[in-house]
Amino acid sequence: MSQSIGANCNELKKEYDTCFNKWYSEKFLKGDVRPECEELFQKYRDCVLNAIKQKKIDKLLVEARKEDPFSSVTEKK
Amino acid sequence: MKFFEASHTFFYSWSHVSAASWRKYPNDKCPHVIAIDVLDRHVDPETGILRTERLITCQQNIPKLLSKLFGGSTVTYAREISEIDPKNKVLKMTSCNLSVNHLVNVSETVVYKEDPSDPSKTLFKQEASIKCGESISQFASFIEDFFVQRFGDNATKGRQGFENVLDRLKGQGETIKS
Repeated sequence: MSQSIGANCNELKKEYDTCFNKWYSEKFLKGDVRPECEELFQKYRDCVLNAIKQKKIDKLLVEARKEDPFSSVTEKK
Repeated sequence: MKFFEASHTFFYSWSHVSAASWRKYPNDKCPHVIAIDVLDRHVDPETGILRTERLITCQQNIPKLLSKLFGGSTVTYAREISEIDPKNKVLKMTSCNLSVNHLVNVSETVVYKEDPSDPSKTLFKQEASIKCGESISQFASFIEDFFVQRFGDNATKGRQGFENVLDRLKGQGETIKS
């Protein structure tokens, strides 16, 4: 399992990644696209966002999203 | 601006490749990728496409001139957006550097799609562009050449590393076959 940018987020990341990988192979690829692992993601994500803020990467991300918003990927197709 | 292109055929089904792509790192061929984090993720309810935004943290040696220009840091960050269309069996990832992007912009697009003539294979295509900003235009040729070279090296290692991951996961039966 890959590491997280926040050393203190590794355990949460591992739990979330394990849940996601299982969902991806057993549900998503078989046509069931209903999301799972949401609670684990929320906990892991809060930790990561904190780490990003501490490392001052949050501003870089805000700038990048201005040019290329996350939601616009499909629209650009 | 300079460009890099590569293509490859993986002898695994698209389902196996796409599932393994989430587990590509860590692998011993790519020690420069030190962390990967999911920032945002959702399934588009209309299209069924899974979209993911990730932060990639890398650490690698760079020439002294570049290191000076880039403020002495060897840790760099990239933002990646991926789209997985399970119906058409296409995985597309685009990424762009977040660090020092006022000096140099490295954009990459990779696509993994099912081989239309053989579903047991997956076609891989990688394209990258490297462009230096105005402020360092006197070094543009040197810097762009360096990144094209580095990109090519990392692309080869990345492909080898991914082949190892694909093989390992197949052995463990950890991803579905097709």
